[in-house]
Order: sequence, then structure tokens, then C-alpha cells
Amino acid sequence: MIDVESETVVDCDWHYQDSFKEVAEYMPEPWRTKYNDSFWEDSGVTQALSSFFPTSTGDRQNYGKVLREHSNYPDAPEDPERVTEGMDFLDVDISVQISHLILAMGGVTADDERVQAFTKGYIEYMLDQVLDPDAGIYGLAPMPYGDVEASLDILERVEDEEAYVGACFVTAGASPPLGNRKYDPIYERCEQLDMPVVYHTGGSGLDEYVRAGYQEMIETHTLGFLESNMSQIVSVACQGVPEKYPDLDIVFMESGVTYIPGLVSRLDEEYLKRPEEAPLLDTRPSEYITDFYFGTQPLEVSARNDLLDLCFDMIGTDRLLYASDYPHWDFDSPSIINELPMLDDDDRRAILGGNAIEVFGV
Amino acid sequence: MSVDADDLVKVGPASEFDDGDAEIIEVGRAEVGVVRADGEFYAIRNQCPHDGGPVCKGNVQKELVGEFTGTGQRVEQQYSDTDIISCPWHGWSFELETGIHIGDDRIQVPTYEVVVEDEIVYVHTGD
Repeated sequence: MIDVESETVVDCDWHYQDSFKEVAEYMPEPWRTKYNDSFWEDSGVTQALSSFFPTSTGDRQNYGKVLREHSNYPDAPEDPERVTEGMDFLDVDISVQISHLILAMGGVTADDERVQAFTKGYIEYMLDQVLDPDAGIYGLAPMPYGDVEASLDILERVEDEEAYVGACFVTAGASPPLGNRKYDPIYERCEQLDMPVVYHTGGSGLDEYVRAGYQEMIETHTLGFLESNMSQIVSVACQGVPEKYPDLDIVFMESGVTYIPGLVSRLDEEYLKRPEEAPLLDTRPSEYITDFYFGTQPLEVSARNDLLDLCFDMIGTDRLLYASDYPHWDFDSPSIINELPMLDDDDRRAILGGNAIEVFGV
Repeated sequence: MSVDADDLVKVGPASEFDDGDAEIIEVGRAEVGVVRADGEFYAIRNQCPHDGGPVCKGNVQKELVGEFTGTGQRVEQQYSDTDIISCPWHGWSFELETGIHIGDDRIQVPTYEVVVEDEIVYVHTGD
């Protein structure tokens, strides 16, 4: 035995507990400023579902540019009473709440219980603390669809709860894609309960939802949301979910509207060349997809009006649902719909409220 | 069925056709394929409404169909009794009897009546 105190000892693995915020002071520009203006704080990750390391391409708040006056987001968890404050700010009378954190579930690929445990806790928390149909605050029940039995448990839990008006499937990361027969029991139960299925996209901030190597959030946020929704729309339609469960209302959220005509046009072209690969369909996939409902946010108001007009015409103004996405960074206020020149007032009322009242029964 | 001989275009002896065989003839200004499938004769315009391809030079097969048998079950697929012909350019496929596209019944290739008299195949011009 040696006397270590008098010997030279080398420890080859010591973990210094650094913080991103401290290190940022020493980063090269522009990252020193970007980090200091972001919401990443000491740990490099916040409520914003983005992080500096290891897989985020950017700060959703755009490095200090995007601020929220009527929400704690992204600095801290929300105070339940601030939902009403935000609704008043937007002039929204009824809101359908969906978990912010669940949007990252697509990154969980292990067959463990994290998603199930979170969703079960979320259901109870929201019922206890946030949802209030008398105040127009309803919710969607997140489906931990990787575990069908757990999803059915959640549906059983909420089926008699007035506050829950739909089942939410996060489209990012779902594998196999959501038209697979594995998910049939969830769809069957939702149809029986007259509970719409709301597919909600995700897929940005976590670079590899689409593929590795993109460098900026403008790339991943543009592509990730589209890819996540498009992949599930194609799967759900081609595998015949609308034929299997014809009374099931299907809603897709948060990718705007301009991708729909392009997607269905391409899919129809494929279908006409190989319809036997979608054997449950009686006609073109577009006929089914334009029976789905689509959230309008983030509406591409900078596009040519005639393109938006075409999109609204193809989808149908009776199939479009206003969605704010508040308090996220790219939210839409109702004026986005109200100021569209090609709509008449009946269309505006339908998109801003009437269609949702019909779909969700709120 | 009685038809006026002036309205018939002679194709040839029925005995020269095997199942899957097609003979291209002119009916007026149209190219028409006379096709035998399961011992029956069909006549269908040899022009795909998709891109103008020669439909009748494609394969004759049975239509593959699927049935939903229950929640969680794999779709059961089997070949039906419906004879189809597929344009060799892109695979657009049509029921031989009706000319209707198997994926969209709004798309249809014109068909013609076929008459077999004294073992000779004729196509009725439709005039």
C-alpha cells in the first residue's frame, strides 16, 4: 500500500457540474448573446421543449424575440387561472387544452412506462386544477398509443368526464404509423364514445424526428411538423381507418393548410396506379382526407390569396377549425381567420367556432 | 343477341385466342383491344385515360381485393372473380367487363359488345 497523500494520483473521470448559463458567458458570438437571450437557463432546457444540448436546433422563443404577456410560458409552469386570462386576451370563449409536454413523447421509443405514467397523471391534474367546462375550458386526453391497453384505460377514465372531449395522438415519432391495425382498439372505442381523434403534430426542436443534420429551427420546424402529420395522414387513409370506423371524427392539428392539396394530389396519383395496395378504400384517398377536420394554425397568411382560397375550397370551410396554439411561439389569433378576404361571414363563424362546437360537442 | 352485320367488325376465329390474349383492331377511328379472360371475350378501347398508354397490351389478372374482418385484424386480401386489365405504362387498371377503373368508378374506358357467331369473334361498332 502506498501513501496516496504523498503520491501523484490521476483521476481520469471527474464530472464537473457545469451549467450552460455560466459556460455561455465564454461562448463565441453569436452564441454568447443567443444563449443569454434564450430561455434555456442553467440546465439548457426549459418548459419550451427545446434544449441547447443535445438535439435542439433552436430556441423556440427565437432568442428573446418572442414574449408572452398572458402566460408563464416558457419560463415556468402555467398558473391555471392564466388560461382564462389568455382566452380573454384572444377573445376566445371555449378552449380545448392539450398537454404541452406530451408533444415530446414521440422521442420515447423504449417500451417503458414514462408516457403512460405521465398521461395518467396529466388526466387527473387537469381535471383537478385546470379544466372547467362552465368556464369553457375543455381538454383532450393524450393517448399513450404505444401501449394500447393503457390508452383504453385512459378512455375508460375520461368517458364520463364532460371536460374531456377528444383523444389526442401525437403524430411525431409514432411507429408503426397510426393507420396500423395495432391501434384499431383505440379507434373503435373512440368511435363508440363519439370522441373525436385529434392527431397533433410535433417534430421540431428534436432534430432527428425527420433526419439528422439540419442546423436551424427554421428548417426543422418547417419540415418536422409537415412530415409528422403527412406520414400519419397517409397511413390512416391508406390503411382504411375511415372505412373501418366510419363514424369516427378525425382531426389533424398544427401544420397550416397549404400542405393538404399537395399531399392528397400526390397520394391520389399513387392510388390510381396501385389501388390494390389500399384495398379498403372505395375511392381516392383525397375523398377521405378532405372529410377529416384540420386545425388552421399556423395559417400561411403570407401565401398568395388564391392559393389559400384553393386550399380552403379543397378542404372545405366546414372542415376547418380555428386553433390558436397559444402560448406557443407561432400562435394565431382569431383575426387571422376573420381577416381572410375570400371568406364570407358564415364561413368565418364556422371556422372560428361552429365547426368545433359540432365536432367536440362543446 | 341479334345484331346487324354492318355494325360488326370481324376479329378472327375464337379458337385462336387463349385466356389473356389480346388482338388490337380498328373500330371506326378507335383502336380497340379484344381480350379473352376466363373463356369470355371483352372489347375495350386501347387508350388509357391517364396518359394514352396501350391498355390492351397489359396483363389480364384477377382484381386483388381486401376485407376488414374486425378490429385489430389484418386486412384479408384475396383475388376476386373480377377480370381486370392493366395499362403497361403505369398500371392503371380497369374491369374488363365495364371499363371502370378499379380505384375510382368515375374513370371509365369505353367498352364494346363482343359477338361470337359460328366460332368467329366480332366487335359491335356501337353505331
